[in-house]
Amino acid sequence: MTSVPRALLAIDAGSATTSVALLGKPWKRWRLLGSLAAPAGAPIDELAATLAARLISTDPRLAVDLSVSAEMVRDLPRLEAITPPPQTLAVLGASRRAVGLLESVAARTPWRVRTASPESHDPREMTDLALRPEVSAVLVGAGDPPGPDERGWLDDLAGLVGAATRRRPELRVVLAGPVAARPAWAEGAGRPFDGSQDRIIEGPPLGTRSGPDEPLREILEGLLPSTDSRHTAVRALLSLADTLDRTIELIDIGLDGGLRAMASPGVAEQGPAAIAVRTAQAALVPREVDDAGVDAVLAWTTGSLDRHRMGDRLLDLREAPWADVSGEGARLRLAATRAALDRLEAHSLDIAAMPSPDVTIVSGGAFAVAPARAVALAIADTVRRPGTTQLAFDHARVLGPIGTIDDPDERRGLLTDLADDLLAPIGSLVVVGNVPTGRRTATRIGRITLEGDVHGRHELVSGEVAFIDLAPGDRAMATLEFRDAVRVGHRARKVAVQVSGGVAGLAVDMRDVPLRLPERRDRRRAALAAWGELAWPGDER
Amino acid sequence: MTVTRAAVAEAPGLTLVARRRLLLSPIDAFFRLHPGDRALVKEGEAVGRGQPILEHFREPRTLVIAAQSAEGHQPVPGDRAAPLGSRTRDGENLDGELLFRSGGRWRVASGDRAEPLESPVAGVVHEVRPGAGVTIRSTANAIVGRTALAGPSWGKLQLATGPDGELRAQHVDVGMAGSIIVAGARMDAEALTRARAVGIRGVVVAALGIKEQRDFLASERRGRAAVHGLPPFGILVLDGASRRPIASPLMALFEAIEGGMVAIVGDPPALVIDDPSVLLPTAPPDLVRVRSGPLAGAEGAWAGLAGPRRFPAGVTLEAAFVRFGGRPPVAIPLGDLERFA
Repeated sequence: MTSVPRALLAIDAGSATTSVALLGKPWKRWRLLGSLAAPAGAPIDELAATLAARLISTDPRLAVDLSVSAEMVRDLPRLEAITPPPQTLAVLGASRRAVGLLESVAARTPWRVRTASPESHDPREMTDLALRPEVSAVLVGAGDPPGPDERGWLDDLAGLVGAATRRRPELRVVLAGPVAARPAWAEGAGRPFDGSQDRIIEGPPLGTRSGPDEPLREILEGLLPSTDSRHTAVRALLSLADTLDRTIELIDIGLDGGLRAMASPGVAEQGPAAIAVRTAQAALVPREVDDAGVDAVLAWTTGSLDRHRMGDRLLDLREAPWADVSGEGARLRLAATRAALDRLEAHSLDIAAMPSPDVTIVSGGAFAVAPARAVALAIADTVRRPGTTQLAFDHARVLGPIGTIDDPDERRGLLTDLADDLLAPIGSLVVVGNVPTGRRTATRIGRITLEGDVHGRHELVSGEVAFIDLAPGDRAMATLEFRDAVRVGHRARKVAVQVSGGVAGLAVDMRDVPLRLPERRDRRRAALAAWGELAWPGDER
Repeated sequence: MTVTRAAVAEAPGLTLVARRRLLLSPIDAFFRLHPGDRALVKEGEAVGRGQPILEHFREPRTLVIAAQSAEGHQPVPGDRAAPLGSRTRDGENLDGELLFRSGGRWRVASGDRAEPLESPVAGVVHEVRPGAGVTIRSTANAIVGRTALAGPSWGKLQLATGPDGELRAQHVDVGMAGSIIVAGARMDAEALTRARAVGIRGVVVAALGIKEQRDFLASERRGRAAVHGLPPFGILVLDGASRRPIASPLMALFEAIEGGMVAIVGDPPALVIDDPSVLLPTAPPDLVRVRSGPLAGAEGAWAGLAGPRRFPAGVTLEAAFVRFGGRPPVAIPLGDLERFA
């Protein structure tokens, strides 16, 4: 008998969903034996026991070989990623401009952000914000030297935050600028700032213009638990990009936030690299459902719900994200997902500007229950990057748990074994840019030919999305020919790209980049309905 | 073959259904203290229902006062600025809370027209944090809701309608004044405003739409700004925003405590039952309720996991069999179900 485990549990405990995957090493490599997800709070042991029972009923011999039984499964080693509820960050500055700069950085972190400045709040309201029980950290910043708009209030701000640290010994403070150097800090805090308190962290001062925000973001993210699934998933993504030797983008939309990361494989002596944005702004449904949030979802719906009823549906979705996910509920969820993807895109423009990745992985509860074509269309609607990418789904939610493995070699080894199992192929997405302006009516602008396709050529029509069947596992060379030059990665009239199959097949998108929906509500709905008919089973609307 | 309830309850998988907690005991009721508010109780102190526990200013503002340079006790942020009733030379009320000191001057959270907040429950003061809140621990049972608006409040519980009913404004009767009413599946803003006007102390309702919530809160703000000493009024929402009947285990609890004194607290959102001697019914262990979808509100008996199933819109979901009455089991998405035991 060996002490090396031959089966383990990969657990992703999110804020809406608890997912358990059973991994086993029946022969020389690890395989995904099954996965099961249930509403958050479901007992992990029960989920694991259900998985074990399914394995035993399907392949009892394999279960015996791996020593998996309903009774013993809870004792298996675990890789566990836990996403805690989002925490609230109070962002304070001496002027509206300063707060705006700080907020733009904080919004690209998993923190829920609340802002205040003396120009918009009085000292009592700002103190109220800093003392709220749900606020677990304060970000306060100023320029170095302070800007003219900051000088009048900076001492008061220093005194206010210093007093807050005195009244709440557990409050963590990030100082982005020389706030603690002001004499008022010592008056408020009762002692001068000497850097001896671990909970008060100094960061870079505010820049006058937007600059790289990595140092401050790293500090803010460092205050949050590192077991967060969206944190560990990026580590797994790095290893996966290196393993597959592909550029990979990960897009995750969850109940309390979203993640967008781009990883590229190592070159020569350099290891793999990744850039990631985690933001609470990309939550499936914002914690406070306001008119702007409702309108953002309504913009993607084809139904006849008014603003109030949509608000009710979103409140219910927020309250019970697992409920009502079939029928019209599935469409509502995808509309909310598109709105969240829009917010994620707006907070990750640096990633959006990068070339189309080889593979795009979608993850999170927002995509978990939708038909594959609907997922492909949602991505095509919101991530408007001309080029070709293969779409895949982290269906068993194991990227986060695998990312908890500290040893990169061990992580890479596991991913090498599991790469085929953990990604469910959705298909390929080709987004065509620069479709000629004069030809945006529904006219034929070109054609696509798949190598070895018995169905021959498919006509391409401007302003439309074409789905072409291509089975999972199939690969083909797609040749796109247009009358005028377009952009598919680069500008040309004839483009040949490698595409891979999936449940959704191949999607070719000839709509505007960026997507421009009609202003008039009825026309917009008609356009969305026409595209939606391609993605949703028509007889089950 | 007859499937008994006990046998079904032992079927594996029931624990995968989201469990809804009905009762909470003890309960730590939290009452927010904003800067300037004054706590009227101390930690460890026993409080009775209706006893003032804090007071806040109806018209808050920030004062700037010169810091005293005398030796001895130096005030710190959070201290009271001056003894009760102290006034500046201009006649402004000096009572307030020291916020912070800057440039030799204190900022003070003060205001006019202090208004007390009375405790809706009897208990012991667990924690007092100036500028943060007062926590009162009560050993009573509390029925847990999803959201509470306005409040806190207390009164005798009265069932105004059935679990699936909808109380309209014309049916809000002055005879319910002083009580907290159970108003069924949903209530509109007009009925809520009328309930407030006739002296009802609170409403327990299954669902309250976002429009009704906003309309009511706006009306409440206007009312409180205009009238001093408006009686307390609270709303406890049990489920969410879309209309649905009150679950039978909750209704059974309300029926058991009808006529007794209850209180609505906001944090956590709950209905606190005053009388500890009331025997509270418990839900059958195999009872599951459909909380959304075409069968929303239906209740049945658990009949085991059904595995992945295809549902409308082409989605495949983990499902469970539920037996409604004597009919054959129906597969329902696991996420659409909730249990109470």
